[in-house]
Amino acid sequence: MGKPSDLVQGTLDLLILKTISLEPKHGWAIAKRIQQISQEVLQVQQGSLYPALHRLEQQGWIHAVWGETETGRQAKLYSLTEAGRVQLEKELAQWERLSTAINLVAKMA
Amino acid sequence: MRALDRLRLRLRSLLRREAVEAEMHAELRFHLEMQAEELIAAGMGPVEARHAAMRALGPLSRIEEECRDMRRTRWIETFLQDVRYALRALRLSPAFTIVATLSLALGIGANTAIFSLMDALLLRSLPVQTPGRLVALGDPSRVGGKSEGSIRTDLFSLPLYRELREKNQVLSGLYASGRTGRLEVGTDRSSAQPERARGRLVSGNYFAVLGVPAFLGRTFNGEEDRSAGSAPYVVISHDYWQRRFASDPGVLGRAITLNNYPFTIIGVTPPEFFGDIVGTATDVWIPMMMQRQVNPGRDFLERWDVHWLLLMGRLKPGVSVEQARGSIGSLFKQIIASQVIPEDMLGDRPGDLHIDVSPGGAGFSYLRRQFSRPLATLMAIVALVLLIACANVANLLLERATGRQKEISVRLALGAGRGRLVRQLLTESLVLSLLGGSLGVFFAFWADAGLLKLMIGSTRSPALDLRPNLTVLAFTAAVSLLTGLLFGLAPALRSTRVELAPALKESSRNLAGAGAGRRWPLGKILVVSQFAISLLLLIGAGLFVRTLVNLQRLDLGYPREGLLMLQLDPVAAGVPRERLGTFVEQLLERLRAVPGVDAVTLSENGLFSGTESSTSIAISGRPPIPDPDDDVAYDRVAPDYFEVVGIPILQGRGFGTEDRIGTLPVAVINETMARFYFPKQNPIGQRFAGTDEPERVYEVVGVSKDARDHELRGAVPRRYYLPLLQRSDDLSAFNAEIRTRDPKVLIEPIRKAVQDFNPRLAVLDLVPLGTNINESIDDDRLVAKLSAVFGLLALILASIGLYGVISFTVARRTNEIGIRMALGAGHNRVLWMVLRETLLLALAGIILGLLAVLASGRVMASRLYGLSAYDPPTLVAATLVLVLVAVLAGGIPGSRATRVDPTEALRYE
Repeated sequence: MGKPSDLVQGTLDLLILKTISLEPKHGWAIAKRIQQISQEVLQVQQGSLYPALHRLEQQGWIHAVWGETETGRQAKLYSLTEAGRVQLEKELAQWERLSTAINLVAKMA
Repeated sequence: MRALDRLRLRLRSLLRREAVEAEMHAELRFHLEMQAEELIAAGMGPVEARHAAMRALGPLSRIEEECRDMRRTRWIETFLQDVRYALRALRLSPAFTIVATLSLALGIGANTAIFSLMDALLLRSLPVQTPGRLVALGDPSRVGGKSEGSIRTDLFSLPLYRELREKNQVLSGLYASGRTGRLEVGTDRSSAQPERARGRLVSGNYFAVLGVPAFLGRTFNGEEDRSAGSAPYVVISHDYWQRRFASDPGVLGRAITLNNYPFTIIGVTPPEFFGDIVGTATDVWIPMMMQRQVNPGRDFLERWDVHWLLLMGRLKPGVSVEQARGSIGSLFKQIIASQVIPEDMLGDRPGDLHIDVSPGGAGFSYLRRQFSRPLATLMAIVALVLLIACANVANLLLERATGRQKEISVRLALGAGRGRLVRQLLTESLVLSLLGGSLGVFFAFWADAGLLKLMIGSTRSPALDLRPNLTVLAFTAAVSLLTGLLFGLAPALRSTRVELAPALKESSRNLAGAGAGRRWPLGKILVVSQFAISLLLLIGAGLFVRTLVNLQRLDLGYPREGLLMLQLDPVAAGVPRERLGTFVEQLLERLRAVPGVDAVTLSENGLFSGTESSTSIAISGRPPIPDPDDDVAYDRVAPDYFEVVGIPILQGRGFGTEDRIGTLPVAVINETMARFYFPKQNPIGQRFAGTDEPERVYEVVGVSKDARDHELRGAVPRRYYLPLLQRSDDLSAFNAEIRTRDPKVLIEPIRKAVQDFNPRLAVLDLVPLGTNINESIDDDRLVAKLSAVFGLLALILASIGLYGVISFTVARRTNEIGIRMALGAGHNRVLWMVLRETLLLALAGIILGLLAVLASGRVMASRLYGLSAYDPPTLVAATLVLVLVAVLAGGIPGSRATRVDPTEALRYE
């Protein structure tokens, strides 16, 4: 396995939305989760995570509250809003189309 | 919901910025701690772990900046930051700020003042329901007019109004309103002094057509038009209710008398409604059918030959003004063809008449026609003044930017974007222009009261609503912003275009020299255009002032000094018509007895009173002369009229006491009329008759010198005079001309004499002739005075501009001047060097200005009197003034240059 791939442009939003779709998470957990699930292949640039989170919040797709973590610390927890859920569906569908297309090209060529 | 949430977030980022920032720091700190803990758990030392965590996250300050960018409120924050920065910068240079703000305040204030007059008089709609659907019939400027004779279409008779109202297909309603003449209101039997109010006689559908509801009680419902004298009740305005009845809610049902006839108050109109006449607020609305009661002794209700009504209609849905014009035009032709109008009322060419239908939403106004052109002229003038002010401020900014060149270079070198710097400098301009604008609004509203007085004179009572309103404030805001861009953009672009390396290396003083090559042309262009505009304004002012002088010095054909004009209405005072002749003779007797009175005479229309009669005539034994404008003016005058007023009789005789009832009808005609009808013939003994009364034939007994009775401008009209005593039973209001040494002193004694003569006789007007004449040229006086004021203002602003630029050149060349003087150049030589530069600039401006004068000559010519738009004395004088100002503006810094101490100047290097 080579170096962790850079995130495909524009997919960070999708990953964030998907990651918090089950339960609210703070930034650190989101980064960890993405890494874990992708079996360490996708390494989120930590620096770009927070601007992305703030942008999604401004767009009204995710909602932030201050809450307690399992260890009893104060952290900013992000959860999906209704609009965010719709957006997630949209992004998933788009991703589906795109990856199918790329797969096709990759196999045929 | 989402939009609302987003708005909440934005507002929070803006208003609770510190909390939002703190949260962001906390969030990132938490991240770092978690990362560090993980690494410690993996066996790393705590310090090392913290460093590793920070490396993993990346540069904190950049992440924070990116997060802030995501808030989408950055531009507001930046803007606020720029505003704060600008305010601080302006506070640091108070002299610059004060000069710039004042220039702008004067410029913007002048624009606001003139615009608010235009808005009140020309643009604003009446506060009624959908004013855009109202149309005016006839001439909307003939407010308060009345004329007798054959049919006309600028004003309407009541029978013609009824025809138009009933038969038109395009209006959902058409109302009529007319003047009441003098209206005396008595609210209480015990109060001896009745007071005057402004009333309108209106048809019963007046309020319904306008869509004005009652504020209290009710308005008219249409029943009022049923029959004459059947509706003795009135509606009063909110203003009158407050003023006269102290807002008494019990005013409904109260009795008042109007010209001694009892009426009941049935309603009050809403506070914003002042009637349909812009410039004259109406106090009382009276049903049209009460006209006889309001004007005792006069009956206009069934008369086709008394024209006194203005008509306003509301278009049916889907009908355009053009369609209404066409439809009413053909209806009018049908009415004429249908012979409902008595034949002798039709005049010579009824086919030529047509009814004008125009948008009526802005109401009627006599001021509008008189002042729309002067106001347009003044608007152009103040716009030019503002341009000069802009050029001044732009120049100041350029100079200031040169002083800040080093600061700007440093900021550019540190990585500030040029766009960002331009935005910041522009913000500074906008802050300046808004400061100027706000101050200007105060100037404007303070000036407007004075302007109004200039416009209307002191004797007429205007009611223009000049309180600040949204339209005017929006105009001012727009002008201020535009101004800010105009004077700010070029200097901002210019001063941020710097080559960094040399700019940073050199000292700031040398920098001014280095940047000068680029900077100067703009500054010079600004000064040259200031001078050009100033010259244009000065010449304009000169032409307008000379026009006014020409009008004021115009030979009237009789001495204008020493005449006092008295206007009376004996019919309204209850004098029976058959006794009017005796009344006139007795009155003359009484007035002559007043000490100080040299002589007294009477005429029906008076001089410059605003009332004039005219008719078309037929010469006995001759076919009518074809003439597109066959009106001849006439007046009825008492014996001695020509002697007392001072109009020479050139041929034949004037009138005397022998020309009285029962003698042969005679007439005196003026030179113009004699030349027109009797060229190369002896006019004495010729006979003619007015076409509306062909059986009454006048014999010409004299020819009088041409005299100006009502108009200063234009040619003297053809005019004839008739002896008043030959027929006085149909006399209405008339004027007495009183010759005396000092008219002002005699005003009170005359008023008292009239009261003694007949206590019921109201003095309608009592003013020196000069006042009447001045009122007839109020528009010329307004333009002349204001253009002079604005011309002077422009001159001051331009000279400040020139002074600034020349001072700056001198300062920049101190070194050079020092060297020249060290090498032996004399004071005069140095002074000339500076002056030459000044004069070159002024000359360029003067040439441009003269070209502009040349181009605007045609427009100007129509507004002048008695001189050409290229009047040489005015052109020469204005140019000389400008050269003189240039010499002064250049001479002061120039003489300062001659006092430069060479050693001092050289050491300065």
